[in-house]
Amino acid sequence: MKHLLLKLEPIIWLLFGAGLSVGTMLLTGFVLVVGLAIPMGLVPSDALDYERAHALASNGFGRLVLLGLIALPLWKGAHHVRSLSVDFNGGDRDGAVGVLVYTAAALCSLIAIVAVVRL
Amino acid sequence: MAESKKMLRVEISRFDPDRDEVPKTQEYEIPVQDDWKVLDAINYIKDEVDPSISHRWSCRMAVCGSCGMMLNGEPKLTCKTPLSDYDETIKIEPLANFPIVRDLVVDMDGFMDKFRKVKPWIVRAKARAEDMEDLNEKGTFSQSPDQLATFKQFSMCINCLLCYAACPVIANEPEFIGPAAIALGHRYNLDSRDEGQAERNSIFRGEGTVFSCSFANECSEVCPKNVDPAAAVNQAKLAAVVDWAKGLVLPREGA
Repeated sequence: MKHLLLKLEPIIWLLFGAGLSVGTMLLTGFVLVVGLAIPMGLVPSDALDYERAHALASNGFGRLVLLGLIALPLWKGAHHVRSLSVDFNGGDRDGAVGVLVYTAAALCSLIAIVAVVRL
Repeated sequence: MAESKKMLRVEISRFDPDRDEVPKTQEYEIPVQDDWKVLDAINYIKDEVDPSISHRWSCRMAVCGSCGMMLNGEPKLTCKTPLSDYDETIKIEPLANFPIVRDLVVDMDGFMDKFRKVKPWIVRAKARAEDMEDLNEKGTFSQSPDQLATFKQFSMCINCLLCYAACPVIANEPEFIGPAAIALGHRYNLDSRDEGQAERNSIFRGEGTVFSCSFANECSEVCPKNVDPAAAVNQAKLAAVVDWAKGLVLPREGA
């Protein structure tokens, strides 16, 4: 399993790196707007009401952004959990843990793709 | 010369492989001067108090990279660290994450093996005779200041091993090739004269190299020459990924 992970490492790291950027920049902005700016009235609440948000999210570009926002941070999280596991348990179970977390991330990404396509 | 009255307690880690199972600490109380570096204190003890101490040092100007030690648990060059940074007590230990030879001296052999793995020399893909045609009239390969600037920072490494002592990945996974070796490989990958990128990138995609790095950035924090090995490692990750992706769509040259 370690061998498989090693072969996939470039693509895993790419997804992780993308998730890291998306997670720290876009998601922070998203939380700031939806979690703070709208409740505090800094942005009018109807700016992102259901119809407008749906229209924004369901055009092609919107779907792509939404998928990135959902799926990429999953890979960031999975990779962090794997690193954390290596930090605490050493490399012995790295293969099993890696396969487990990345499979979870892959499955959830698949669900996200289906959800975004059916939006 | 007026002798300063200031006293300092120095705790030095002692280890004799013939007698000791684990390192033990020996304490020394010595007079110190304001302008001393930590290395001066160790040399004072070696010369005046206890000649049995073993430690490595040479240039005293932060270029030879031999005098790296753990000072109060932090990897530092002892010739570059002022003693005035420490009051009353300083604990001096050999660099972490390395086997100890004796007292403050560590075994660098494992590092040297890792070092060679990244092919730290200019690789030319062309046959020798053909290659000679690219030489300028001075018999060297021309390089512009811009081309030099792309890798110069990563070539400033003095192999002092502070980054290995600081790296949390090395601590967990001693076979990890490590910050300095990757920075050096990356330095040659960025060199306009070099043609060994494909070879090094495939080395970098192997086990225990760039992707083992968890980007804790500790190596760059402790680097006395501002090489920023963490930047090199993470640039090398991206380069290795791009090279891998290219390999999927383009046939390899000569393959």
